[in-house]
Amino acid sequence: MKPSILVVDDEPGMSWVIRRLLAGRGWRVVTAANGTEALEALRSQRFELALVDAKLPDVDGLELAARMGKAAAGLPLILMSAYFYPDDPLVQRALASGVIREFIAKPFRHEALLAALGPGPAAGTQAAR
Amino acid sequence: MSAAAIEKVAREWRLSVDALGEELCLLDGGGRILRCNRAMRERIGRPYEEILGQTCQQRVCAPGPCAATCPLQRMRVTLRRVSGELAIGERVYQATADPVLNSAGALAGAVLLLADRTEARRSALLNRLLTDSIPSSVLLLDKSLRVVLANRNFLEKSRRTEAETLGRPLSSVFPEVILEELGLEEQIRQVFGENRAKGGQRLTYRAPGVPIRVYFYSIVPVAWGSRVDHVLLLMDDITEQARLSEEIHRMERHLASVVESASDLVISTDSAGRIISWNKAAERISGYRFDQVKGQPLLAFLEEKHRTAAAESFERDALPNAAEWDVVTRAGKPRKVSWVLSPMVDGENRRQGFVAVGRDLTEQRKLEHELRQSQKLASLGVMASGIAHEIRTPLTISSSAAQFLAEDELTPDFRRECAQKVHEGIERASVIIENLLRFARPANQSERAAVDLSRVVGNAAGVIGSQARLQKVRVVTRLPEEPLTVLGVASLLEQVCVNLLLNAIHAMPGGGTIEISAERTAAEATLRVSDTGHGIAREDLDKIFDPFYSRAPAGKGIGLGLSLCYSIVKQHMGSIEVESEPGRGSAFSVKLPLL
Repeated sequence: MKPSILVVDDEPGMSWVIRRLLAGRGWRVVTAANGTEALEALRSQRFELALVDAKLPDVDGLELAARMGKAAAGLPLILMSAYFYPDDPLVQRALASGVIREFIAKPFRHEALLAALGPGPAAGTQAAR
Repeated sequence: MSAAAIEKVAREWRLSVDALGEELCLLDGGGRILRCNRAMRERIGRPYEEILGQTCQQRVCAPGPCAATCPLQRMRVTLRRVSGELAIGERVYQATADPVLNSAGALAGAVLLLADRTEARRSALLNRLLTDSIPSSVLLLDKSLRVVLANRNFLEKSRRTEAETLGRPLSSVFPEVILEELGLEEQIRQVFGENRAKGGQRLTYRAPGVPIRVYFYSIVPVAWGSRVDHVLLLMDDITEQARLSEEIHRMERHLASVVESASDLVISTDSAGRIISWNKAAERISGYRFDQVKGQPLLAFLEEKHRTAAAESFERDALPNAAEWDVVTRAGKPRKVSWVLSPMVDGENRRQGFVAVGRDLTEQRKLEHELRQSQKLASLGVMASGIAHEIRTPLTISSSAAQFLAEDELTPDFRRECAQKVHEGIERASVIIENLLRFARPANQSERAAVDLSRVVGNAAGVIGSQARLQKVRVVTRLPEEPLTVLGVASLLEQVCVNLLLNAIHAMPGGGTIEISAERTAAEATLRVSDTGHGIAREDLDKIFDPFYSRAPAGKGIGLGLSLCYSIVKQHMGSIEVESEPGRGSAFSVKLPLL
């Protein structure tokens, strides 16, 4: 069973990018377009990792992250955002409190995201850039 | 002499005596009437037989007693002519008693002459009354400069009695200082000589310890024929008038100064609209000096296209009215001025003219333009985060697509797909940028044109779209099928919509719904922006259109938005209203006249 990654983002383009990027690296990608879908997915499946966009149509990304943390304890969450930057106080606080493990600003370098995902199931297949 | 001759003389004498207007009688030593003339007989009103032999008291002075002042009595003592006033009944006589002496020089009888002075007396009394009621001081002087007559005012002012004054020389009744200062005596002598009035001049009387007084004097000759027998010296104490006059002048200067210092144009015209006054501000703004405009119609200095409307205002009967008419400066340039025209009426409410007060709008317009611009930029600032988010999102796709393209071993299909994504992302970002830049551009506001309100709404919704999405605000637009055309400046109307929309978004920090609609009602287009936000408190409702009134925390909006909306809507001849319920939401309605 491939490890699953939950991608919570309402932008269809992001889904295209993540799928393409993680294809062949051994991840199973599940996308959710809003907070409700994300929480439902958490109830029905087990995920290794989650990528959460900071601005979702029905809920704030950080707030969702907190709820996801309660719904699936220990699930590493990476916050992605076209709104915030790493030095934003909200981001800093979320990192410090452990609500999120990492933050990636959009646009992003693929290496940065891949590095944030950790060694992953198919480690070593990707040459470093 | 023969008896006949004597008789003739007696008859002639009787005729002459009877022709007299005065009363004449001959009395014997005991005061009994021997003879009297017709005038006396007629006045007594009895036949001759009843008069003769009676005493003069019984007939002449009856029914009253002998008067104490009767000259007869005195004459009997002095045996000389005595003349004096005698009152008989209501009439006053100048009575003259002449003694008739016998050969021994003793009194044998008397001749009494009575001249009716009643009218003259009454006339003199009236004159006295008049001169005494004159508030001026009057002195009548004879050729030797002695006082013949002094009126009450003079006597009171100089604190003298009549007895102390009449017959005295001028120099003893008049303040020496004044006589010298004016050379009055010399002037009076000149008047006597030339028979021409002098004076009509002011004299300021200063004396230590005495408040200054100002007098107005004149010397008037009183002539009989060509001879000047007397002179009238008239003096008026005009201290109070002089003071009031000075006070009035001071007030006038002050008021003139007030008008001159005003920064607005202050112009007055006659009832036909011709310029009577023109203040400094009018000179500065128009470039014309007062002497260049005086007497000309004010309309001549207005822009031709405004003259008809202005002329109508002058005709109108109603209260002050206000309008914007351009003034054409001396340099030929039009300058926007906002006028208030008020009628001037006199005490009987008749129209005397007009007062036109004008405010130069050029500066104001410039300021408004700058304010609008800065407010626009402030709006952009508010939207910055939403804008950034909306641009970064498509760029993320382009960036990733480009990163894929850099990899090896791509299928041609995938390569094409990536290239496409790069392109699309950049396009999306460009559209957003274009929307914003168009919004940020300063409006060329002098160009009014036919504007489709639906398009304006659509554009505005586009501009704020990012912000709305960011704050989870749903924007619902309801626009009519046919175009809603108004006359105005599209970018300004767009600014109004954007402002209203941003305010609505701001009122719903946790998300909500905005409804923006435009519809036609009768001859108007109504634009409505409603939200489900926190609403506006009742006590704030009438202040929200005031500039700088802002309920937002410091740094978030400077409160210009709604006041500029108000200003723009007004300039488009429209109206803007708000309804609100705290906790439920607000709705702003803008009504504009349809083209």
